[in-house]
Amino acid sequence: MPKTNAAALVFDDLSFQYNTRSEPAIQHISFSVQPGELLLIAGSSGCGKTTLMRCANGLIPNAYHGKISGDIKLFGRSVFEMQMAEISQAVGTLLQDPERQILGSYVLNEVGFGLESLGIPRNEIIPRVDETLEHLGILHMRDRETFGTSGGEKQKIALAGVLVMKPKILLLDEPLSSLDPASAHEALQTFRQLADEGLSVVIVEHRVEDVLTIHPDTVVYIDEGQVTYCGDSKGLMAIVDYRRIKLPADIVVERARNAPAPQFYPVLKPNYKNPETLLSFEGVHFQYNEDSPEVLDDINFEIHKGDVIAVLGHNGSGKTTMVKHALGLLKPTQGHVLLEGLDTQKMTVAEAAHTVGYVFQSPTQMLFAPTVKEELAFGPKNLGFSPEEIDKNVTWAIETVHLNEELDTPPLALSFGQQKRISIAAILSMRSRILMMDEPTAGQDYWNYQAFMDAILQMPGFDSVIFITHDLDLALIYANRILILYGGKIVADGRPQDVLQDELQLKKFRILPTSLLKLNMQYLPKTGSFYRAETIAHFIG
Amino acid sequence: MLVTWRYKYRNSIMDRIDPRARWIFSCAFLISCTMFWDARFLIFFFIIAVVWYTFGRTKWKETRRGWLLVSVMLFSMIVINTLITGGGAGGVVPPGGHEVWTQGFTIPWVNWHIHFGLTAERLWFAICQLLRLGGISAIFVLIPYTMDSRSYGATFHGLGMPDRFAYTMELSFRFIPTLAQDSAATLDAQKARGYEIEKVKGGLFRKILRIAPLIVPITMNSIVASEDVANAMDLRCFGQYKRTWLFELKFHWWDIILIIFSALMLIGSAVAAYGFKMGNFWIPESFINMLIG
Amino acid sequence: MSEKKKSLFKFGTREVVYSAIGAALYAVLTYATNFMQLPGSGNVAMRPAVVIPMFFGIAFGPIVGFITGFIGNILSDLLSGWGFWFWWDLGNGIMGLIPGLIAVAIIDYKAIKSLLLGEFFVILGAAGGMGVAAISEMWVSGADMTAVIYYNFLPAFLTNIANGLILLPILMVAYAAVAQRSGRQ
Ligand SMILES: Nc1ncnc2c1ncn2[C@@H]1O[C@H](COP(=O)(O)OP(=O)(O)OP(=O)(O)O)[C@@H](O)[C@H]1O
Ligand SMILES: Nc1ncnc2c1ncn2[C@@H]1O[C@H](COP(=O)(O)OP(=O)(O)OP(=O)(O)O)[C@@H](O)[C@H]1O
Ligand SMILES: [Mg+2]
Ligand SMILES: [Mg+2]
Repeated sequence: MPKTNAAALVFDDLSFQYNTRSEPAIQHISFSVQPGELLLIAGSSGCGKTTLMRCANGLIPNAYHGKISGDIKLFGRSVFEMQMAEISQAVGTLLQDPERQILGSYVLNEVGFGLESLGIPRNEIIPRVDETLEHLGILHMRDRETFGTSGGEKQKIALAGVLVMKPKILLLDEPLSSLDPASAHEALQTFRQLADEGLSVVIVEHRVEDVLTIHPDTVVYIDEGQVTYCGDSKGLMAIVDYRRIKLPADIVVERARNAPAPQFYPVLKPNYKNPETLLSFEGVHFQYNEDSPEVLDDINFEIHKGDVIAVLGHNGSGKTTMVKHALGLLKPTQGHVLLEGLDTQKMTVAEAAHTVGYVFQSPTQMLFAPTVKEELAFGPKNLGFSPEEIDKNVTWAIETVHLNEELDTPPLALSFGQQKRISIAAILSMRSRILMMDEPTAGQDYWNYQAFMDAILQMPGFDSVIFITHDLDLALIYANRILILYGGKIVADGRPQDVLQDELQLKKFRILPTSLLKLNMQYLPKTGSFYRAETIAHFIG
Repeated sequence: MLVTWRYKYRNSIMDRIDPRARWIFSCAFLISCTMFWDARFLIFFFIIAVVWYTFGRTKWKETRRGWLLVSVMLFSMIVINTLITGGGAGGVVPPGGHEVWTQGFTIPWVNWHIHFGLTAERLWFAICQLLRLGGISAIFVLIPYTMDSRSYGATFHGLGMPDRFAYTMELSFRFIPTLAQDSAATLDAQKARGYEIEKVKGGLFRKILRIAPLIVPITMNSIVASEDVANAMDLRCFGQYKRTWLFELKFHWWDIILIIFSALMLIGSAVAAYGFKMGNFWIPESFINMLIG
Repeated sequence: MSEKKKSLFKFGTREVVYSAIGAALYAVLTYATNFMQLPGSGNVAMRPAVVIPMFFGIAFGPIVGFITGFIGNILSDLLSGWGFWFWWDLGNGIMGLIPGLIAVAIIDYKAIKSLLLGEFFVILGAAGGMGVAAISEMWVSGADMTAVIYYNFLPAFLTNIANGLILLPILMVAYAAVAQRSGRQ
């Protein structure tokens, strides 16, 4: 590893183990970051990326305790000899969830927070805040409330709150996880610009392919707490496992050629000849309050037996709002939603839950029981199933998500990825005919989410599956029908190969074509349908 | 679920008074007023409270809910305690007195004869209670409607609370809408699993237990989120130096006058009540004569 | 910085955050359950959320418990537009403070011993907190002891311990699972 005094940040044989753990979270990490360098850290869930960040920004050992060895140098000085306040002014950190990071009720207070803490006089804080907001192009938001801003805006506000302290190094922990593709692209452009201005930028991200578009100078790959690769992005693509990290599609095709073809047999097939309608939206309009704008604007579509539908659309386009109507959690202000022919106005949510199973985005929003078993029995019990039926369903659901051995564990003690699977199983155990999932893959690593999407779609028992996603590739691999929402309207509805044809139009709807889409379009005449890159590799063999 | 603060800018006199001065006045009022049971003093305080209340320029429609709560409280205190059961006036009104309604009355239908020893003294005491509690309520009901939610942290800091405690208040304001949103999401998520909070059979125990599927995820989720919040604060130097408060508070001359007035009111009351032993319960002869005739 | 002992009266960033979030949570849940059809008694509304200050006290110490109850009650009254009732705010604070006194004694949140200890202190806390609030009512509104006991203290005390006793163990068991997995020490 190059080790000069000019380096902004140097990890020197760093290892750390949390007090509550028996295994180290990171081991023998060595690499360095130069001023103005853009560095990407990739690795699967739990490999220690966040821990590494915490070492660099002083949270370890100041807020988290454990066994530490090795050293980190900030511009030549060891961080272990520095005060927290000193480190924080050199190293700015953007945490994963901006909603939790924003501390001020108003944009001005949020951005000024660090300066307030430093005790800088008010008449200096305000110009510095203005300057930072101006630089990020959001000065017009200065006097707005932070609550109620969109995901992309929240992230910019949080970034301003970090940049206002004039750090020399910027750490970003999964900055893209809840952004739609267009907002993610904008955020990445901002990061690139900051690096070009001389800031060292370190990005931790699962969406490697997206980050590669801004050409990171260095890529570090971490596996089980150790650096297994450090170099340019080309080298990474040659060595890393393409099933663990999502790489550009043409590279996967190159590398997957000699591997066995992936086995994937979806159960649901659309029946175009005489479709059986399960659910229909008829001229649905919706607004949350009388004086707020319409969120849904004349929604008309039907869900048929055999449909696997992906719902795409920008942040705030109304996807979640629309799907909540299917279950009667929200009722249209105008129009009707018919579930198996019955108006949802005339039924309770519990009645609708017999037919529609709805998995919410965050598993922590629903887990409460002392054991997984009781958690899974909660739904069927509410629906009035008999004890034998409940037992049968719980067993079936837990087997489907492959967590049999955890039946007696408290769900709250499981890892995030496992909790997500439990939250899906908790819906499966209700044996609904239609399964709806809101961003089932957010915050999960590539390997894990492919595994459970494969499992759910190969599992008999549903008449239709609907999922909301920002990941275009997920939609084109798994869906047989795509709905695109834009500003509360359905602007496209049809087979993936029809809907996703027109790149210009997609861009208008804030959806960015991916390398996998381009590859699929290129080989469509040969394949006749959309597939994952590994499968295409075998078509062109 | 929608949660909104009741505050809005009304361009009222109250909007021009520094919140620190307002708190000083409100607390001085509470303490002064509770030194007296003499209606002549209480009238004075009541008038001050009414004037103060009009400074707020709130509309009846807005404050109705607050007054509803106050009325329930006053009703149980005054009507039930003092007038009907004869409790309530225990330590203040001396025993005995002039009975007002010696014959009592009979409740129709059930034919219960009720004889309650309502005296003129207790009736007068009820009036005093009404004045005193009414005045205090007017001052404190006004607060949610007239104080900017951004100003609480800076205000309590300005009144001498340490940075960390004052900031706690500010931070909890920030998280109310977020937690309200989370709670709504949890309620929806459980409803999607057939949970119906309204429909509970069984006794109190079952009813309370029924709230667990809501309260557990909401609470645990926010505890987990707290870790991120604490990190975000530490990473921006929270608590390392003496804090600047961005919300600007400024004393004007009228604030100073209000504070001096508050101090005089407090000192004056203390001297009157403890120095001159004034302000104990007192009932005008004419009131007794009027009732007994 | 490496000392690891739980100190009863420490008030660092972590405690600021737990107090603030606890208070916000107490306010929101109280506000939300105001509209639910739960049985009420007298003028004291049924509040399942009272378990929040008690639990935050037990989990994070007396100061966090106190602030959760104190500021939480202020905030919920502000949200409802009910005004500012210092003595009831104080009473709610004490309801979180007293259970908080045993925070250091509890290591395993799901052990029977811890649960029983928690329950016992919930009763003490509710008695102390509602006692202070009710006695202040004597001073403010001039009611006598029996009236205060029947109209202020008992309804509040009984509904609060009913909610506290039933919900606290559930939260403690759940927290035992969460604490295994994350958190700053
Ligand atoms: N506060 C903590 N206390 C104890 N163990 C922890 C703590 N935070 C993380 N760990 C453990 O350390 C290991 C590395 O976790 P870390 O959060 O650094 O992973 P990550 O690469 O950021 O994962 P993800 O992609 O899911 O965010 C994991 O085994 C995790 O369970
Ligand atoms: N509870 C609510 N009250 C008021 N407005 C809301 C509420 N929930 C959502 N909205 C607004 O409705 C619009 C659509 O929100 P929705 O959550 O349906 O979008 P989405 O497409 O799911 O976005 P995302 O991709 O960010 O999840 C947004 O402008 C949002 O601010
Ligand atoms: Mg992480
Ligand atoms: Mg959504």
